[in-house]
Order: sequence, then structure tokens, then C-alpha cells
Amino acid sequence: MLATSALVRRSVLVVPLLDTVAVEGSWRHEADAVALDLGGDSVRPATRTSLAQAIATAARGGAEVFVCVERDRVYAQLKSAAGAVGLTGVAVRDAESARDVERVDEVLREHERNEGMLSGSLEILPLVGTARGVWNVREVVTASARIRCAGIDEPGLCRSLDIVPHEQFDPFGFARGRLIVETLAAVKLPIGIGHPLGALPRDASQDDVLRVADRARNTGFKGALCPFSSWVAACNRAFTPTDEQVAYYREVRQAFAEGVKRGTAAVPFPGGRMIDVPVDERARLVIDWSERCRARDAQKAAALSRAWQPR
Amino acid sequence: MDSHRPVHRSGLTMPINNARFVNAAWTRGCDGFTLDLQDSVPQSQKAHARTLVPRAIEIAGQGGGEVQVRINQAYIEADVAAAVWPGLSGLNMGHTLTVAQVRLMDASVSRVERERGLRPGSIEIDVSPDSVLGTTALEDLVNASSRIGSFGGVGGYDYALSLGVEMFTGVDAFFYPRGLGSLIARAHGKAFPLAAQIRDTSGSVSDADHAFRQAEATRKLGGRRGSGLHPNVVEPMNRALTPPPEEVAEAERILTLWQELDERHEAEGVFGTTTVDRYEAARARELLDWAAACAAMDAHKQRAVSRAQARRAAEEC
Repeated sequence: MLATSALVRRSVLVVPLLDTVAVEGSWRHEADAVALDLGGDSVRPATRTSLAQAIATAARGGAEVFVCVERDRVYAQLKSAAGAVGLTGVAVRDAESARDVERVDEVLREHERNEGMLSGSLEILPLVGTARGVWNVREVVTASARIRCAGIDEPGLCRSLDIVPHEQFDPFGFARGRLIVETLAAVKLPIGIGHPLGALPRDASQDDVLRVADRARNTGFKGALCPFSSWVAACNRAFTPTDEQVAYYREVRQAFAEGVKRGTAAVPFPGGRMIDVPVDERARLVIDWSERCRARDAQKAAALSRAWQPR
Repeated sequence: MDSHRPVHRSGLTMPINNARFVNAAWTRGCDGFTLDLQDSVPQSQKAHARTLVPRAIEIAGQGGGEVQVRINQAYIEADVAAAVWPGLSGLNMGHTLTVAQVRLMDASVSRVERERGLRPGSIEIDVSPDSVLGTTALEDLVNASSRIGSFGGVGGYDYALSLGVEMFTGVDAFFYPRGLGSLIARAHGKAFPLAAQIRDTSGSVSDADHAFRQAEATRKLGGRRGSGLHPNVVEPMNRALTPPPEEVAEAERILTLWQELDERHEAEGVFGTTTVDRYEAARARELLDWAAACAAMDAHKQRAVSRAQARRAAEEC
């Protein structure tokens, strides 16, 4: 069994709900998903109205929309999403155990019932940002069928471990590796950006974000949380196979198929490489992933085009 | 062999249905061979490939190296029955995922050992948890069979496939599974192949220079095992994983100094820039032991090849 989730979630743009300008513009950045961060705000009536509006606004560009909630305040915070249309699910900060996820699951079930939604339709996106969460990540990501994706919250992890983040030292190789391996083993999508932008997020240049996101992809992440809209385009690009990669893997598939016809599944390839079953399988998955990214981009482009038309 | 310490500085994995590779294996100077029934053999050839195993073990073993067979997770019983013959040192099961698979493999091996008069328990099992699922199952797998002596390495195409990452990007995607694997293996008294991470962006399986640098760095880290896919890398791996004479001489001097310190009832002393204490002495002793094992292995292979050549010459006459 392989991590062949059909999900394409290369960029999850995190937007503070209280930043009205950011919320207003959230649909324009072509993010695959937008996470509206309540930032501790919850049940004030004004917020209820604005959250429902914000969800609709964020979804205009074809993005999935999450509400970013705190583990222990899900019930109250989700109440402010009453009546909202277009909500994909909740991103839960500091999920640390199966019990945490189960509690959120119960709240979502009630919300779905109250809102007349299909049971199980709302997703849980755990954001692992504590030492306990990293250690228990297997039980966290497997605690609910609602989980399709899990992210690492490195600033949170810095706080949990009393680490002062530093550009030159990467303290989270183990934590990221654990989240990636356990999430993929559960056939779900791990998201994160890696060092240094994970622990030290900043409004970096496209090139800088692209370089870090490329590295994140090469460690197993399939997308990233983007605290700045300037990260979105670079992350979409970094987590999408390039045309060159797709062309290379088409050649690989052809060479392998010809090798098998000749009676061997260990096929020499130009450059001194050797291709066998896992390489061919990787080729198939990259081509498939590329097609899914293309389809997702077309979906967003259509939504954006509709959104730009005068109402 | 004169030493009981296993020496596996170089390994060659080859499709068992490739006669050219198998027939030349014994001339390669390799410490160990893996005859592959698994991914390098197309599905349509699996049954035929099984019939080739006894002869292939005999041919590859003529060079004095150990012979292992890599079996298919999907055909455990059929592959074990085909592979367990005199001359086989162990079996490897790629993509190992469950305790049930290992137990089935163990039971199958025990049965065939009995049927063919092999010493019970003599065939080892190498488990290769070469995927994210394997890593998550490692704690269960580690004690699934008393035949398990070591885990296969992490970091090949199979693991890259399960992570969904490219190989040869210069990024170490296997830091976590390698670290966790080595801790779990050692905590349960099993071996885990320690390998230095040397940047490789070409992916060439025949790059002798890279193989040497990789193996040398591995030796300096304390690793003792190597493996590859192309004959070009065998000699560099053997050379790089054998302690060079200057390191052997230094280890001897450290041990001499340690003996002197011990006689003076002192706990530590200084040799050059090295503080010599009981840990450093133990390290020196291990290095000398390893050097002796390597020399014994080289002599053993030399004798085996001479015998094989003489036999062939006699057959030709």
C-alpha cells in the first residue's frame, strides 16, 4: 500500500480572521486551501457573521476552506461558523492524542447534524505543534476517518520544546520525519515547509520559498502551511511535478516496459541508473500526481474566472 | 574462514534469471551476493526463476562470498522452498510489513531445513522494512523470529517510493527512518547497517569513486557493511571498508599505551591528540579485530577462487 491519496493540497494559506484586508483578498492567491485563523476569537455575534462571510469569500477562488481552531475551544469556536456555506473542515492546533481528535470529531458530528450537513463531511486537519503531539502522531492521524492530511506547526513546537529558533540550526529533523512517515503510513497527506521557514516564518522572496519548499517536497511533504500569501505561488509550483520530470518518467515507464518484454525487470537507464519495479511505480505516481495537480489548477482557474466577473 | 566475525564489506544484488550476471558473480571478489527473485524478476519469469536457485547458489558461492536470496512477500512459501539449499546463508524479504509474514517465512524455512537436512536455525532472515509502513511496524517485526539478525538498510528506491520523494536530490529524506531503525534494532540486540550519507546526485550504480567515498565515510563512522548493484563498486567498497595500514598501526600503538597505563593503574593517557581510556582501547581492539576478519575473508575468497579455477581447468581438460 502506498501514499496515493487523491488529495491535492500544495498550499494552505493561513489568514487571521481579524485581518479584514487579508480575508477580503484571500481568494485571489490561488491557494489550494485557506485556513481562517480565529486567533482565540469565538462567539461574539459580530464574529459569527464575519466568519460565515469570510468562508464564502475565501472559497471564491476555488480553495477549500478550513477554520483554524484551538483544541480545547472547538465547540465554542465552531459555533461561530453556524450557517456558513463552503466549509471544508477545521484545522486543530495542538492536537496531541486520539482523545483530542475524538472530541473534535464529536463536535463536528453535532455541527453537521445542526447544519443539516452530510455526516462525516467535515474534515479534521490536525496541526501538530507540541512534543506530545509529535510523539503520539500515529494515534492522532489515525483517530478519525475525517483526517486526510496533517500539518506540523513548527513555531508551536518551538514553544513546546523551549527552543529559540535559529536560521543556522534545524532542531526538527526528527519531528518532521516522524510526522511524514506516520502520516504517509496512514495514507494521508503530510504538510510542512521545513527549515528555516517552518520555525522562522517570514515574508520571503519567491526564490527563497521555492528553495525551501523544494527541499520540503524532497523530504516527503506534499504541501505547506503558508502564513504569507507570498508563499502560495512558490508552494504550488514546488509541490507540482515539472514538465521535465513528467517527460523523464514517461521515458522511464517506456524503458521499463521494454525491459520486461525482454524478460528483465532490472533495466539499465542512461546516466548509469538502474530502473526496476519501484522506479516504474514512482514514475506512474508522478505522472498521476501531475495530472491531478493540473486538474486542480483548472478547477481553481475556473472558479477565479467566475469570481472576477462582476456580480 | 579463520574468523567467525561476518564480513560483508561489499554486496552485489542481481536478478537470478540473468545468466550473464550470475555466471560471473564468483569472479567479482564480492563478500556477499543477493540473488533476487523479487523486483528485478518480471512476474512472468517468477516460476522459471525459482528453478534456477540451487545452481545459482552454487555458482555464486564459488567465490567465497556469502549467498543470500531475496524473496517475494507475495510468494513466501514457494520462494522459501525454492531458495533454501546448502550454500545459502540467509534470506531477505523486501517490503516486509507484518509479523505474520515473518512468522510464515520462519516456519517455511524450518520445514525446508528439516526436509533437506540442513542444520536447524542455520538460515538467517534479513528483514527489510523498506517503506514507511515498514518503519511503523518495526517494533513488532524486530522479535518476530529468532532468525532475524539484522534489518536491511533504509534509503533505496522502495523507501523513496513510499515517501513519494525523488532519489539523488542531495536531500537526506531518510534521516528519521534510519535513526529510528537503528535505535529499535540495537535496543533489541539486532544489527542495523550504518551508512554514511554522501551526497549523490547522479544515481549511477557503477560510479566507483562515489562508492569508495561512501564506503570510506561509512567505515569512519563505524559502519562495516556495503552493498551495490554493479561489479565496478565491489573493489572500492572492499578497499574502503578495510582499515588502512596506518589506522591498524595507530590502533596497535593505542592498545600498547593502554596496556602500559593499565600496568601503572592509570585510567587514561594521551596519544597524539587522542585521549586513551578504556573506551578508546575498546575501539582500537575492535578495529584490529575487524582488520583481522577482513584479512581472513580476503584469504578465504582467494582460496575459494583458486579452487574454482582449478576445478574449471580440470573440467576443461
